[in-house]
Amino acid sequence: MAERSAVTRSSPCRSNSCRDTGRPLDDVSAESAAAPEFGQSLIYLLHDVVKTRQAEGVAFRLRVPNLRIDRGEKIALIGESGCGKSTLLDMLAFILQPSSAGAFRFRPNGDGEPVDVNAYWKRDKINKLGDMRKRHIGYVMQTGGLLPYLTVRDNMNLCRSVLGMKRDGTVEHLAEELGIASHLGKLPDALSTGERQRVAIGRALAHRPAIVIADEPTAALDPYAAQKAMSLFIRLAEESNSTVILASHAWRHIKELGLRRLSHRTRRSKDRKLTETVVRG
Amino acid sequence: MVAALRKVFGLASRDYVHEWQMSGCFVLALAAVLGPMMVLFGLKFGIVGAMMEQLIEDPRNREIVPVGSGRYDGAWLEGVRAQPEVAFLVPRTRSIAATIELGSQRSSRIVPVELIASDHGDPLLSPHDALPEGLTRVVLSRSSAEKLDVGPGDTLDGSLARRFRGRQERVHLPLTVAALAPERAFSRDGAFVSVQLLEALENFRDGRAVPELAWDGVPPDAERTYPGFRLYAHSIYDVAGLRDAFAGLGIDVRTRVAEIELVRRMNRNLTAIYWAIAVIGMVGFSLSLGASLWANVDRKRKQLSVLRLVGFRTMDIVWFPMVQALFTAILGWALAVSIYYVTAWMINDMMAAQVEAGQQVCRLLPLHYAIALALTCGAAVVAAGLAGLRSARIEPSEGLREL
Repeated sequence: MAERSAVTRSSPCRSNSCRDTGRPLDDVSAESAAAPEFGQSLIYLLHDVVKTRQAEGVAFRLRVPNLRIDRGEKIALIGESGCGKSTLLDMLAFILQPSSAGAFRFRPNGDGEPVDVNAYWKRDKINKLGDMRKRHIGYVMQTGGLLPYLTVRDNMNLCRSVLGMKRDGTVEHLAEELGIASHLGKLPDALSTGERQRVAIGRALAHRPAIVIADEPTAALDPYAAQKAMSLFIRLAEESNSTVILASHAWRHIKELGLRRLSHRTRRSKDRKLTETVVRG
Repeated sequence: MVAALRKVFGLASRDYVHEWQMSGCFVLALAAVLGPMMVLFGLKFGIVGAMMEQLIEDPRNREIVPVGSGRYDGAWLEGVRAQPEVAFLVPRTRSIAATIELGSQRSSRIVPVELIASDHGDPLLSPHDALPEGLTRVVLSRSSAEKLDVGPGDTLDGSLARRFRGRQERVHLPLTVAALAPERAFSRDGAFVSVQLLEALENFRDGRAVPELAWDGVPPDAERTYPGFRLYAHSIYDVAGLRDAFAGLGIDVRTRVAEIELVRRMNRNLTAIYWAIAVIGMVGFSLSLGASLWANVDRKRKQLSVLRLVGFRTMDIVWFPMVQALFTAILGWALAVSIYYVTAWMINDMMAAQVEAGQQVCRLLPLHYAIALALTCGAAVVAAGLAGLRSARIEPSEGLREL
């Protein structure tokens, strides 16, 4: 049941249903409401965040009228490629600047003032954003993103060593859990795609970040390996009490893992010049 | 900050070693341009340098010789010596009186030699050797020293004769070889001596008394005049001006102005040609180095974005390609120096017969190696830094999604 609803709710951009919603695409204000309070357990609060991209006369717009992510939540963003999942994840990881934002707040720890991410972007403080990402966020890339000149151990230890964390067996423990302990001394080239992806998962978790963001971490794996890697990832993230934000194109791989699904809708304008995805949750 | 830089240095080195084949290609490409450039500069410096040294620095080109004989008194010569363009001036006695016959213990020959007036700062003599002094110390030309089989410190017997009051008279005076003159200073049999000794010998020949040497004769004139002088200008550029000044005084002089003009024109032309080659070479070198480093940074953009993703700051990321460019620069330079060494050795070996001993056709000073290293590192760091900055500037997400 869940799978079918996924298809209807996050319908692919090419489907006809995109166009018969009858509401003009540029009507943003209809959904805008006053920015809600920043609760104690909130990590992310996004309000009217828009990212527009233009390429060869075709525009793509991602719109987030409201998004609240609580500490310890496990969020899933399901949809076909090209619908804007990566765009949202990149904005949440501070590696992509929103085109405009009503509010974009981030508070990795329960205490202290929430950080105004958009203000940092506007003042070009990408090093400040980088510092926050370094400390609080682990990122699993779709294609691993391992450094080919570092051994598996050093790749997994990269975030830790950048933070100046001592070697305390965390990397070895994670490698054990991920089933790559025997590869620690090898270079990524010597590993299979699946193994490399598990190294990438290990790297994102090794410095025990408050938030782990994963962009299609298992897209390159066969369905069986993907399911296994995904449940391993979620379990390890749970062990370290991390908040998980996950993008995937296949709900059936993760429906048993207890994730909260963000609803999103993709539509295309009549002249096919503008594609818009609206995410809320 | 320092920790991050050390981290970047470590990562950049490991990447450089990991990609040793690619790194090797960059090093080879750099050395292939820099090596020949260094040979070219070595040749320019060696050939042109030696030629210029020979032609410009040769004191004979700075010499001004009065034609015929005049009557110059001491005060007038002092006035000429005080001119700023004049580097060296010493009065000459009559050349017919400026000879002496020399004998040594080791040689049976009596060698008649010409005497050349000399003094401190004589441009024909080496400033490091002892100079002719007083009535005994003389500097021998090579040819006379060979004939007499003497060296510095040896003693000589000088003798000269005159007809005085109707009879033939011969006097002897002991002389010491203070030093030997450089080969090119005087090619015939000769000796550089003090003006004091020349005056004494001239006085003797003229039948005047020389009390210092206990030679008998009529008392000398109170005011002495000289028939000529040896004069050297400070530089070849002063020669023409001095010639004109003497012409204004009605004194005809012989100079090498025409040769100097030829040398200067040749120097200008050669320098212009070499500068043109140098500029073209440097531009080509910088472009080739810059292009390969720029392309390398582009190739690594995704990896640099990964560094950005794990929290490295903009400047750390810019350092990554700069460190690697420095490796390429230093290794490429070292390889270019080796190429230069081998080539220069071969050229010098081949040309050894054609040049004077100790002279090299192709040569560079340590300073030149340092300049080559500095230029290479500078160009490398600028190119890699600009490319790195461009990479660091693009939105990290864009770099990660590429490829």
